[in-house]
Amino acid sequence: MLQTGNRRPVNQNELCYLTITEAAAGFRRKEYSPVELTGALLKRIESIDDKLHCFITLTAELALRQAKQAEQELRSEKDRGPLHGIPIAVKDLYMTNGIRTTCHSAVLENWLPNFNATTVAKLQDAGAILLGKLGMHEFAFGGPSVDAPFPAVRNPWSTAHIPGGSSSGSAAALAAGLCYGSLGSDTGGSIRTPSSHCGVVGIKPTYGRVSRHGVVPLSWSLDHAGPMARSVEDCAIILQTIAGYDAKDPASADAAVPNFRSGIGHGIKGMRIGVPRVGWFDENLGVDRQTETAFNRALEMLEELGATIIEIDGKPFSHARKANQTILVCEAYAYHEKRLQQAPEKFGSSVRRRMLEGAFLSAADYITAQRARAVLNEQIRANFTLVDVFATPSAPRPPEAFATMDPNEQNLRPSFTNPFNLTGLPAISVPCGFTHENLPVGLQIGARSFDETTAFRVAHAYEQATKWHKQRPVL
Amino acid sequence: MVEITLDDLRKMAPRAGLQLADDELQRLLPGVNRSKKQVAELRALIATESEPAATFNAADGK
Repeated sequence: MLQTGNRRPVNQNELCYLTITEAAAGFRRKEYSPVELTGALLKRIESIDDKLHCFITLTAELALRQAKQAEQELRSEKDRGPLHGIPIAVKDLYMTNGIRTTCHSAVLENWLPNFNATTVAKLQDAGAILLGKLGMHEFAFGGPSVDAPFPAVRNPWSTAHIPGGSSSGSAAALAAGLCYGSLGSDTGGSIRTPSSHCGVVGIKPTYGRVSRHGVVPLSWSLDHAGPMARSVEDCAIILQTIAGYDAKDPASADAAVPNFRSGIGHGIKGMRIGVPRVGWFDENLGVDRQTETAFNRALEMLEELGATIIEIDGKPFSHARKANQTILVCEAYAYHEKRLQQAPEKFGSSVRRRMLEGAFLSAADYITAQRARAVLNEQIRANFTLVDVFATPSAPRPPEAFATMDPNEQNLRPSFTNPFNLTGLPAISVPCGFTHENLPVGLQIGARSFDETTAFRVAHAYEQATKWHKQRPVL
Repeated sequence: MVEITLDDLRKMAPRAGLQLADDELQRLLPGVNRSKKQVAELRALIATESEPAATFNAADGK
């Protein structure tokens, strides 16, 4: 137990699992300080991360220096807002000035960028503390790498299981109590899938909402940067800090940034929730039974909270994966073409195989996918005359075991995340239950363009009506 | 849709500037054919007048 002066005693574990909101309030009540929290997290990382491998690079010295500065500033009432003094960590594809940025790959094993990604700079301006860089799927593609220079991240709920990807470390570190917030990136589900598999919250904002400047690309027209945290409100707090127009990102949207927390606590009475079940959920192997049960119970809860569930046509959502994957492999190959021609052996086998597919697709194939994208966008968005948000499971099945993982199986089940990359619509994953093996399941809420506020509102109402987000893995 | 063969990949790889061993091409083959099949399915969704989502905007040159 920690006891300092007149402050209330706090268990180390409880300290590491505070939400950002709780930690920020505790700083201002002087119950604990940024230096204490940073120290507690660094100690926990040192004691348990050797079995999880969340961190590729730990920036302990920098973190303690930033924590001391935040502590002094807060003491002298120079308050930079809710992230001031909060220790966070970022996926290792966010460029960090003078700090190794590897993309979990031998290709960039010792790369030191000379500037910060816009999002990283914004977090630092807000007084957040950088604990380090987090493990991921190599170049945010493929699966957990067995032949990368850094070990694959493990799921804190069961180290025998995958944490989901590609923002694996960003989700696992949160679930393990190793940071209070993190950044991930999402091209086909890479924020929402690991959030679901690790029992945390992650939002893929609207395309253009958050700058991608300084984020190593996977697929320019599908890449999204976004926050992950242990609560819906914490996600909204981080998004508030990193959102906004950036002239350095050609896809950045010059759209007003609302108060993302403005809908939180307003309930969802009268909200119309569209479920695109028919023509999608039963695709090939369909949805895992335990996942569907958890999802159906979540829908019942949303109804109890006053929402109306409306079944809508799932076919356009089902087609979205085909367009998403085609665009993704073509753009990923185009970005990495020279490296793949010159030194393909530097890439791990999984990511190399996926990227090389792009070399054998034609320009006409790529344009066909972009034409289908326009058609599917129109069909999917047309549903907003009938419903306010969409609800689906975040992932079609719970996390697989490393030992029995079949990378081809994902193509035989519906991808619930892909349609939101293809359309650019915002979508959030929030915990909605556990399997018999005690592995987390997530609920996805998708909303209208630039209406993250409604996604947060629905996700928060559901989160607060349940206890899933309060469960912790035994480590 | 005409299925792509290993021999096709052997011819296409050098044209793309890639030097890939036969076992690597063999591993790529199912994925390439799956991708081609997906594109064929997408073709059925689009009308003649459908334009791609990514277009050039003369106003800002992007």
